[in-house]
Order: sequence, then structure tokens, then C-alpha cells
Amino acid sequence: MLTCREMSELGSDIIEGDLRLSTRWAVFMHLKMCSRCTLYIKQLKLTSAVLQQLPLNTTAVDSAAILEKLQERDK
Amino acid sequence: MDEQELVKRLRQGDKSALEAVIKLHHAFLVAMATPLVGNDLADDVAQETWLRAFAAIGKFEGRSKLRTWLARIAINEAHAMRRKTGREVSLDGWGSDTGSPIGARFNEQGAWDVPPTQWHHETPDELLTEAELYECIQKHLHKLPEDQQSVVMMRELGGLDYGEIARALNLAEGNIRVLLHRGRQRMHAMLNHFEEVGTC
Repeated sequence: MLTCREMSELGSDIIEGDLRLSTRWAVFMHLKMCSRCTLYIKQLKLTSAVLQQLPLNTTAVDSAAILEKLQERDK
Repeated sequence: MDEQELVKRLRQGDKSALEAVIKLHHAFLVAMATPLVGNDLADDVAQETWLRAFAAIGKFEGRSKLRTWLARIAINEAHAMRRKTGREVSLDGWGSDTGSPIGARFNEQGAWDVPPTQWHHETPDELLTEAELYECIQKHLHKLPEDQQSVVMMRELGGLDYGEIARALNLAEGNIRVLLHRGRQRMHAMLNHFEEVGTC
């Protein structure tokens, strides 16, 4: 029987579907009866999805200046 | 403009599309290259990446996200830059597990003492459209321990697989998995704090 702490440690393997068959069963059983871990795993998955879509510092980049520099180098 | 349209216009050499793609991904490429070549050469790696990418955009088949394709080029360019300059960046101490950032939220039996609470936002779009939260996510991403930050960048933002990241950073895949999980846990804790308190 997995504890909630162990479930939190398996979080990334759970959301990526990277579990051995025996562990997958134990995780499934735990999630069936633990709403707290279900919520934690759901939020960890959302965290990952947010990072995957995260644009990075778009305002700070002077793309015209970079493009000009690239065109100079390409000549 | 969606990615397909952007790529189509890049292939036509459309200047506004070139500027748009640089604006979208330059900071990511610099951040990803920094641990591989150091601060002073990371921008050069990003520029080399653009030159290569614009020359080869006709070969981009759209099987991965554009950002993933760019990340792969950037890693190759970073390795080439290291060979050319003879520069070795020390990654000593990278990969060691700092332990769970939420360990204190469990009791001795391993059950939740401080359980997670419901969030107000349910989707990535909802989370990312809130300006203050978006700023907070960026701030905390840059506050992650360097090794966790690098792996989170490569995996989550860059979409690279574990093997590619392990080779780029010269670490075992097992270390990459741990670093990614710790990074995600810290970013989750940050989001959780924002959802509970309403400020960064």
C-alpha cells in the first residue's frame, strides 16, 4: 500500500505514464480512495502543462535588432 | 498566428514572421544554452541556431513543435561552440537530489498533514492569461536550482526527451527524471501559494 508521501514522489512518473505494471496498480488503488492525492496529481499535471505552454520574456527581446545582426552576418 | 501559419511564412522568408519567431523563442534558446556554454556565449549559440534554422526551415516537417526543433539545433550548436572555443563549463554538483520540497506537508505515517487545496484556475490558458501570475511563474522558474531549471526548460518548454537531455547535460536519465520532478514540485508549490494567497 502506497502512502501519500510515496504518491507525491511518484507524481511525475504518474503524469507521464512511466510506471511499472505493479506500481501502476498500487497507484490506481490509492487514487481511487484518496481525493487529496488525486488533486495533487491533477495539479502537478496542470503545472507541467503550464510550463509546456510558457512563452519566455517575449517583451525583452529586440527581434528586429537580432534579425538585422543575423542578416549582417549572413552577407 | 498559429505555428503552421508561422512556419509557412518563415519558408517564404516573410520578415515579420522571422521577427515573430525570434521574439517567441530567443529568450528560451539563450536560457537553454547558458548552462552548456556559459553566459557570455549563450547569445552566440542562439544566433547560430537562428542562422541554421532559417536556412533549414524547408526541412522542418512539423513532427515536433517548432520550439523542440530549435532546441535540438541549439544543443548541437552549443556542442560545436564548445569544441571550437575549447570551453568546458563545469556542471559539478548537478544532479544531486535536494529532497522533496513538500516533505513537511506529510505526517510520520506519510499521510497529508497539509493537503493540497482547490485552485481557482483549471487550465493552462486560465493560469497564463493572468498577468501577475505569468510574471510570478517566470520569476520562480528562474529561481529554481540551476540543474532543475535547465531540465525543466529542456523537457517542459523544449519538449526534449530524457535521453536527449541526459546526453546534453552528461547526466544519467535517472538524474534527469529526479531533477524534473523536483522542479515541477517547486513550480507546483509556487502556483499553489498564488492560488491560496493571491499574490506571488
